[in-house]
Amino acid sequence: MAAREASKCATKIVRPLLSSDKSEAKKRVLNLYKTYYRQIPLMLFDRHLPVSKEECQIKLKEEFLKNKHITDVRVIDMLVIKGQMLLQEIVTKWAQDCHIMTLFKDTVEPKPNDFLSKFVNNNDSQ
Amino acid sequence: MSYKYLKQTTGLTRLNVAKSPHYTLGVLYGKILRTLRKMPEDAAYRKYTEQIISNRAKIVQETVAVEDFEKKIDCGQAEELIVQAENELVLSRQMLAFKPWESLIAKPSADQWSWPPSK
Amino acid sequence: MSIRIITRAIQRLSTVRTGTRTPTYFKLMTRAESTTVVPKQKFDSVTEQYLGFGNFVAECLPKYIQKIQISSKNELELLIAPEGVLPVFHFLKNQTNCQFANLSDLCAVDVPQRSNRFEIVYNLLSLRFNTRIRVKTYTDELTPIDSITSIYEAANWYEREIWDMFGVFFTNHPDLRRILTDYGFEGHPFRKDFPLSGYVEVRYDDEKKRVVVEPLEMSQEFRRFELSTPWEQFPNFRSASPTTEEVVSADKEKK
Repeated sequence: MAAREASKCATKIVRPLLSSDKSEAKKRVLNLYKTYYRQIPLMLFDRHLPVSKEECQIKLKEEFLKNKHITDVRVIDMLVIKGQMLLQEIVTKWAQDCHIMTLFKDTVEPKPNDFLSKFVNNNDSQ
Repeated sequence: MSYKYLKQTTGLTRLNVAKSPHYTLGVLYGKILRTLRKMPEDAAYRKYTEQIISNRAKIVQETVAVEDFEKKIDCGQAEELIVQAENELVLSRQMLAFKPWESLIAKPSADQWSWPPSK
Repeated sequence: MSIRIITRAIQRLSTVRTGTRTPTYFKLMTRAESTTVVPKQKFDSVTEQYLGFGNFVAECLPKYIQKIQISSKNELELLIAPEGVLPVFHFLKNQTNCQFANLSDLCAVDVPQRSNRFEIVYNLLSLRFNTRIRVKTYTDELTPIDSITSIYEAANWYEREIWDMFGVFFTNHPDLRRILTDYGFEGHPFRKDFPLSGYVEVRYDDEKKRVVVEPLEMSQEFRRFELSTPWEQFPNFRSASPTTEEVVSADKEKK
């Protein structure tokens, strides 16, 4: 009975967001990646960002690989949609330099790992 | 000219005085009724809309003066009636594609419309 | 002197209000003619008219309407399947008996306990018949809803707001993007699982000469939030049903 319920869930027909199957979703992701990649030199030409082209390319790859474990087509589509919106904000210059630089997190201090620095940095004991 | 006096404006923005409301309404009502006839007999949408439209068409046909049929239909000026008929025509054509007389397309889950939501 | 003028104006207003005629279709579609069960309670004439009208809509669109109900404040609500968004609004706007030409509000409600957690609520106004109607439908985080911007231009910014605040995607929207949050903001703040404090804090950095965004770090004593609202004066009504009467659509009645 439970198995039957589970199989019913698994074969539930859902409304697609953009792509009907996985290969189409993959195409969209690669397309978005390429568009971003081509946009990097233009973006750096337009703005005064304290980062180099290579750093931006590494960052771009890192952001995409962050979601490489995702297999659900609809989740991929949703991420692609959000990526397209961010790209639009960058191209149209709605997002300013500080908004783009938030992706690099250059002011964020890394979290302490060893016991002593954890103890020293502990906020809760204050 | 079937107005009793010269009508210069409808008093509504972007709605011009109709040149010959009898003719326009007659054509529109005819088109609506013809579209409705393509729907199944027992569709409630067809039933109710046919009732309204044929009633209006009859009144427009029988009455000579525009002011009189406006008063009889009691749903605004002749120009507004034309807009309503245009909308109804677009809707009836859409409805042929939507087929809303079929049975319920998707049932809600049991907790969907209950309040307070189950914890 | 001025007070007298104002009172006179108010009197005139009230006469205008009461002078509005009852729409003819309300008289046409009273309950006796429609195919629903006679209710146990007696209602005043306005509610009767609402019920008659609700039955009329449900009879015309049995494919999409799941339920009709009258809220405790005497408002008519149509609960529809998400597939039927476009047909239902086409009908409500263009049908001669409805003419709800004005979309006065569109919003969403998040109820995480449900399998379809978001309720989308549309409020319509018919100037011709001086009446209002509320339409509700549902969706989850990943299921898109049809945008009604092709029917109501006013829905454009409301749908952007829902996208921004709840993350509900609207298909065929001409310009779906953020509207309230800042560029670079992540997450959807009106979701119930979004923390009250947010995930990040924003400050001006003197060294970098720009605004920087950092993950939020709070000491434990500031983390303890009093989450029960201080404004709720009537806890007795929290779990009260919002409806006075639920009407089963005519189609289901036949079975």
